[in-house]
Amino acid sequence: MTSPLFEVQNVTLRFGGVVSLNNVSMHQNRGEILAVIGPNGAGKTSLFNSLTGVYAPQEGSITFNGEHGALSIIGKKPYRVNAAGVARTFQASRMFSAMTAFENVKIGAESHKGLGVVGAMLRGPSTRRHERETDERAWSLLRFVGLEQQANTLSASLNYGARRRLEIARGLATSPSVLLLDEPAAGTNPAEKNELTTLIRRVRDEMGVSILLIEHDMKLVMSLAERLYVLNFGSVIAEGAPDEIRSNPAVIEAYLGSSDAGTAQGGL
Amino acid sequence: MKGAVVSGFFSYFTSHFATLGHEFWPLLVGGLATGFIYSMVAIGYTMVYGVLRLINFAHSEVFMSGGFASFFLTKWLVGSGNPSAWQSVLYVVLGVLVGGLAGAAIAALVERTAYRPLRRRKAPKLAYLISAIGASYFLFNLAAKEFGRINFAMSPPFVNHALFQFANAPVEMLDVITLVVGLLMLFGLDRLVSKSKLGRSIRAVAQDAETASLMGVNIDRTIAVTFLLGGFLGGAAGYLFGLKFGVVYTMGFTPALKAFTAAVLGGIGNLRGALIGGLLLGVVESLSVAFVNGAYIDVVSFGVLVLVLLVRPTGILGESLGRAA
Amino acid sequence: MKYLNAPALKRWGSLVALYAIVTVMTGPPGNQSSPTLGFTSSFSESVSFFGLFPAPRGVFFAALFVIIGGGLALYRRTALKSVLSGARTAVAPRYAALTQRKATRGVFYAIVLLVAIVLPHVVTDPFWQSAMVSQIAIYVLLAIGLNVVVGFAGLLDLGFVAFYAIGAYTTAWVTGALPAAAPFHHAINPFWAIPIAIVFVMIAGVVLGLPTLRLRGDYLAIVTLGFGEIVTIFLNNLYGVTGGSTGSNQIPHFSIHLGPLKYLWGLDPVPYYYLTLGFVVVFLVIFSALEHSRVGRSWVAIREDEIAAESVGINPLKYKVIAFAIGAASAGFAGVITGGQSLFINPATFTLSFSINILVLVIFGGMGSIIGVVVGSLIIQTVSMYLIHTPPAGFQNSDLYIYLGALLIAMMIFRPAGIWPSKRRRREIQYVATGEELDQINGTSDVNGETV
Repeated sequence: MTSPLFEVQNVTLRFGGVVSLNNVSMHQNRGEILAVIGPNGAGKTSLFNSLTGVYAPQEGSITFNGEHGALSIIGKKPYRVNAAGVARTFQASRMFSAMTAFENVKIGAESHKGLGVVGAMLRGPSTRRHERETDERAWSLLRFVGLEQQANTLSASLNYGARRRLEIARGLATSPSVLLLDEPAAGTNPAEKNELTTLIRRVRDEMGVSILLIEHDMKLVMSLAERLYVLNFGSVIAEGAPDEIRSNPAVIEAYLGSSDAGTAQGGL
Repeated sequence: MKGAVVSGFFSYFTSHFATLGHEFWPLLVGGLATGFIYSMVAIGYTMVYGVLRLINFAHSEVFMSGGFASFFLTKWLVGSGNPSAWQSVLYVVLGVLVGGLAGAAIAALVERTAYRPLRRRKAPKLAYLISAIGASYFLFNLAAKEFGRINFAMSPPFVNHALFQFANAPVEMLDVITLVVGLLMLFGLDRLVSKSKLGRSIRAVAQDAETASLMGVNIDRTIAVTFLLGGFLGGAAGYLFGLKFGVVYTMGFTPALKAFTAAVLGGIGNLRGALIGGLLLGVVESLSVAFVNGAYIDVVSFGVLVLVLLVRPTGILGESLGRAA
Repeated sequence: MKYLNAPALKRWGSLVALYAIVTVMTGPPGNQSSPTLGFTSSFSESVSFFGLFPAPRGVFFAALFVIIGGGLALYRRTALKSVLSGARTAVAPRYAALTQRKATRGVFYAIVLLVAIVLPHVVTDPFWQSAMVSQIAIYVLLAIGLNVVVGFAGLLDLGFVAFYAIGAYTTAWVTGALPAAAPFHHAINPFWAIPIAIVFVMIAGVVLGLPTLRLRGDYLAIVTLGFGEIVTIFLNNLYGVTGGSTGSNQIPHFSIHLGPLKYLWGLDPVPYYYLTLGFVVVFLVIFSALEHSRVGRSWVAIREDEIAAESVGINPLKYKVIAFAIGAASAGFAGVITGGQSLFINPATFTLSFSINILVLVIFGGMGSIIGVVVGSLIIQTVSMYLIHTPPAGFQNSDLYIYLGALLIAMMIFRPAGIWPSKRRRREIQYVATGEELDQINGTSDVNGETV
């Protein structure tokens, strides 16, 4: 299998007259930790939403080559995209707040297991076996992200770092080929950041799930990502390994010319 | 095969339009008059939707209370005498005013009891819908208890004769009054919302309540005023409707459902959309008697609603929430 | 309670407003010739002052509210408040521990079921025996069905009665009691109508739901409301098919002919009571299994955050349609029983008021709480029937609707999660309401009223 996992070709996304993504082309290789960086408003989250089926770009194509074959993502609903093997987290984490941490993960673990309304009503042996299996899977994922202690805590009362990890566990529960992380380190403290970095790497190394992340924290991105794309005003302005990006004049220009200059300089 | 079906449909429509024949213009005039009533009620839905993003389920009772208040007033004013021309004008103006004020009062009361406590608590949307339904049900049944359960004909404070012929349609006094009152109020509201300071704060809340409150707009007051304005038009529409069809505690239900359809048809949150939607629905409904049995007219309106929601849920003019005018 | 902390003017102001509303609400009716008569006589009409002497209603209720207001003021000022809440915190955990034990709950349910079985032999008044079937058991069935739609999936369905009507008319149709030609040659009994009616209402539910469930919640409410009206219009006007406004009065009773097993239900309501009770129990078991299944959890996820739910692979439309169809099916089912039991049906039974009545049962008991909905339905329907059977002075049956409307508003203001809330709903409401950290919330607050 040599085809890349994600293939984005000439994607343009508009809202009314505003161009959010302008002729973006990129790809992600299998097993890669890829990052997309760029100043605020560069179109990073729009790109994520296009990759997961929340937005449907007007032009271009997005192909996802998951375990179940190639899928053209544009025009597919988010749940279909997820079923094909794309999981995600959200910028401002979106947990099911009135559910416990365990239930949050369980929802992810069971969402693709056939429908079985009748089974659910009658609660037959096979339904019960499925329940046991998903419970075990949810537990193992909670252990994986280090939240087994807080399994029965309402997700709304977890702290930021724990919520981020829980969101990762919930995403992983849907058995994805790739996990999209939208600013996973936002709002976390340095210690939590280190934990997250380790966790994200373990997701790839131990579970074989590719990672695509958006992040503002340059230190985290540069230490984690194997390859980067830089977006500015909806266009890709640079692509390459962290070292190449660091010395790319267009990138420095984009960051110096924006309000993120401080962050970028500090990180670069 | 396909051609046969198409021509079949075509001949169906042409033959039915033929049966419309000389009925066409009268139906159009009647439809426009009803359409203005729908528009006036639709304004209430659209304005409340603009500021709260909610459908005010109790608006049908605002309409009903306007009908009852003006009915009692008219009954008392007209008594057994025959009003002179000037008296007629005065009585109609008073009827509109009292109907409107009653509507505004009820709308404000509903906002105060069924909406504001929930807003304080940042309740989920479902809670608002349920408490508004409760308010509607309460008022509706209270009216039945206090005023009885039969339809009361309102004797108009004027002689309802045909004033002139439009094409071949006689246009009655009542139609003219409905058109004039409707036009005046809709025009006035449009000016108010687009030009005055009050209108600016309504639009600001509609666009972004949080920012508006940071800019010093009093959200509570603005929402209350929105209910008052929408309630005034709804109550006045109740008067016009009552003149034609009489008043009864159930009178709000069907017109309100249709006015809601009109609001969605024109683009909910959009004032001019409510006008266009109301007129369009009034006319479509009126002309549809050529095609369907009169008992199923409400089915036609419902079909329009479902169709609009399916095909273009933003309506004809779109949901221009912030630019409420 | 927020009320207790409000400024004095506001506290007494709302009491006065409440006084006026309650006095008018319960007062004598007016008429069109003097529109104010109902209001004025609500205050002037004479009633017995707690059995002591006659007094105007206005005075009586004023005294009542002064007592209430004084009691609340006393509660506010004195140590009573802390004593009560202290007692509550002491008792609550033990109560919670008790209710959470599976065995205790099993015993509790067994006792309730036993009481339900013995009841018709204790209550022998014919009014109550018939009310137990047609006004209580059937309503419980309808309420737990609507609870799936409103409580589990969070969809406001105001056309619930339409499915009930379709169920009842289907029964009339297959048993040959309608002008429309029956589908079978020989007369069949209403049991056979059950699967047919369920298929019909589910089709109606899916056909109505597929396009409209994509829409925002309030649009759904209004479309379902319109749907309910449309169904009534058709029932009223299709004389040749439905019998028009007179409906049908020839639906046969339920019967069983299975080899040696023969039984015919008749005019006696008690056998119907057991039949309905049996179905209620079956539905309760099914729905509570559903609540704690993947389907139930998906509903919660959609209710809380549809976008996040989609991101983990849940198809919102699919689950909404499922809820809608299940709700419709239980209403259709109730329609079959009603058809068989009451023998005659007409469109006047199937009004919006009916839908709202069922909604009140769900809201009062607690959206999403099966046990709450059952308890709520029992309370409201029993009180309603009691008022109808032994009306207090000046009470008219139609006053009930006014009370139910007021109850809806009051519940939304004071206790949105219902009298017996589901744990989950309470958390949701609390979370949305305060956004506070929720560590302190656990099963213990089951019994206290301070959730708002």
